[in-house]
Amino acid sequence: MRVNPNPMPDYLAALNVSREAEQEAMAEMSSGRRVNRPSDDPAASAILVDNHDRTTLTTRYLTSLGLLQSQWQTADSTLGSIETALTRALSLGVEGANGTLSDADRTAIVGELQGIQDQLLSLANTEFQGRYLFAGTNTSTVPFAKDAAQPSGIRYDGNSGVNTVEVGEGLQLAVNQPGSQLFTAAGKNMFQGMSDLIQAMQSNSGFDSAINSIRASFDYISAQRVFYGNTMNQAQAQSTYLNNAKLQLSQQENTLAGADVEAAASNLVNSENSINATLSAIGRFSQMNLFDFLK
Amino acid sequence: MSGLYGSLSIALSSLFASQEALETTANNVANATTPGFTRQRPVLVPRDPVLFGNLTMGTGVDLQKLESLRDPILELRLNQGTQDQGKLDASLGALQQIEAMFSGTDSGIGDAISKFFDSVQQLSTDPSNMALRQGLLTAAGNLASAFNNAATNLQTQRANLDLNVSQTVGQVNNLTQQIAAVNQQIASLENSHQDAGAFVDQRTNLIRQLSGLVDVQVIQTEQSIALTTSNGTPLVSGVNSFQLSTQIGTDGMQHIFAETGEITASLTGGKLAGLLETRDQKIPALLGNLDQLAAGLATALNTAHRSGFDLNGNPGTDLFVPPPAGGVGAATALAVNITDPTLVAASSDGSVGSNGNLAVLSAVHDQAVVAGEKPLDFFSQVVFQAGSDTANASSDLNASNLILQQLQDQRNSVSGVSLDEEAANMVRYQTAYQAAARVITTVNDLLDVAVNLGRY
Repeated sequence: MRVNPNPMPDYLAALNVSREAEQEAMAEMSSGRRVNRPSDDPAASAILVDNHDRTTLTTRYLTSLGLLQSQWQTADSTLGSIETALTRALSLGVEGANGTLSDADRTAIVGELQGIQDQLLSLANTEFQGRYLFAGTNTSTVPFAKDAAQPSGIRYDGNSGVNTVEVGEGLQLAVNQPGSQLFTAAGKNMFQGMSDLIQAMQSNSGFDSAINSIRASFDYISAQRVFYGNTMNQAQAQSTYLNNAKLQLSQQENTLAGADVEAAASNLVNSENSINATLSAIGRFSQMNLFDFLK
Repeated sequence: MSGLYGSLSIALSSLFASQEALETTANNVANATTPGFTRQRPVLVPRDPVLFGNLTMGTGVDLQKLESLRDPILELRLNQGTQDQGKLDASLGALQQIEAMFSGTDSGIGDAISKFFDSVQQLSTDPSNMALRQGLLTAAGNLASAFNNAATNLQTQRANLDLNVSQTVGQVNNLTQQIAAVNQQIASLENSHQDAGAFVDQRTNLIRQLSGLVDVQVIQTEQSIALTTSNGTPLVSGVNSFQLSTQIGTDGMQHIFAETGEITASLTGGKLAGLLETRDQKIPALLGNLDQLAAGLATALNTAHRSGFDLNGNPGTDLFVPPPAGGVGAATALAVNITDPTLVAASSDGSVGSNGNLAVLSAVHDQAVVAGEKPLDFFSQVVFQAGSDTANASSDLNASNLILQQLQDQRNSVSGVSLDEEAANMVRYQTAYQAAARVITTVNDLLDVAVNLGRY
């Protein structure tokens, strides 16, 4: 068969293919990514959309947990201060109940108890980043206000709303406990207890029921405080889990889209070899023909 | 026997034939690098013999014709290959620009959807925070503009393709006119029994160019050739060419008409088919998907948003401007309905600190909002489609290039000029010329002897 007398276009096409492979390998090595456009790997590109979304959400869950952690800590330490104040009120109550105090002593104690009452009120109105922690979801209104019309002398202006925040796929953590539940529940109203105790101290009678009432509030608040401890433990565990998940997502991303450096390097070497081979073949392609030999 | 004069005339015929053969070689060598040139070879035939008594005597040689060495079947396959290549090349160019919109996960629609739900989650930790509320509206605005940009991009692509369609139709008309003119030349040359090789080469080249643009079928008729598209619409018939024209259709795009009617949908090969396929199928399908996604997402988010209460305790309004009924144009039209961050309906009970309704908005992330799919699942399918369309077109184009190269190789092995061959032929014709000249010298000597007979 007659051969193609002008094979140069074939060589050039072969050279073009090798150069393309070289550029692809170079791009992969320099960008560090195997998938730069959807057509590089359509299936991986589709999964990467989901990967990016889950990475975004996981990062957000972690940030949310960080923010909530300090909110829970503030609430927890506020409840701790309330416990301390109630403990002091209880010991003052017990002191008054043993009947050995003079009127003047009791008056002094009444003064201290009123101070504790104000302290409790201020603690119950604790703010975190401009929001009242114990107002339910009515966070912009001062939740506890003095009101002589109330038996306890304190009126609750918050609501019973509880916010939850998503900190994992399908995992919601409660953010707050409403003040109505913590401080003014029937039978466990700490303001009522305080007001009863002050009255007992003033009248020098009815100590027992007042002390029992404060003790009930104290026990109840201690029990409720466990909520924050538990939640913070749960949040800690969830953070660990989320950090792992984030790591896995980034590994998945890397596996899907990252450059396979060894493969890219070997492709680069291969393509360079074939370019060199093609070039030297073109260089050696005989420039001579029969005309050169005719005289 | 015709004697010495007969020999003289025989030698003369050889001189002429060798000269003309040498000319052919010269022409082949001159065109060795001319694209599409088909080598020619002289066809030498013995002149009719004369009967002389019982002897049949030869009377010399004639150059009957110059023969162009071409394989018509190969040429047809080359046309077919060029049509495939033209089509794939045109669609790949457009598809690559389209897929660029879906490159990288850190931008574009997917990222905007993720970031929107991220902003909802962020707000849920502090639902009355004005900065975070503004953040949600900004994320919603970015989501809307991601859809707007993608849709605008696709429409711009479509408009560019459309422009390209009318330009290509102009090129087709130009080529068919040229082919008809060349047919005329070939016909008049062949009528006077002359070689039309150069014009046939020219026509072959023109048909090849035309094949790159449109699906051409070559029909050999008795005198000439006719060209039609694959559905039989005539383009050229002998010396007549038939113009294609374009008209803007109801979809605002150029439609292609022949004298016989509209042929837009029936073109199957060449650049035109690639342009039309991308313009009329690929891009509208992609736009349709984006419209559906935008409409589904906006409707679901609006419903979720309306179920809550804003910072003033009023019921939520639509978060996005409600998408058009049926969803057509939703991606282009997507826009945020509210600008005041206090109007973000985060609360589920009207209290300022409630984040209950944000969970409802978040839940849209995992709701089947379009074609039974979650928003991002649907979007990742769109990305997959754009990627695999491009990848397929690219590998098809590579395959088509290889086939075309192979065919070109075969064509050159039949029709290409080999300098070695031409050198060898040159030696042959030179020798033949020299030999014939020698015969003439000898006859001349003999005639000289005959003329001077008796002088001695």
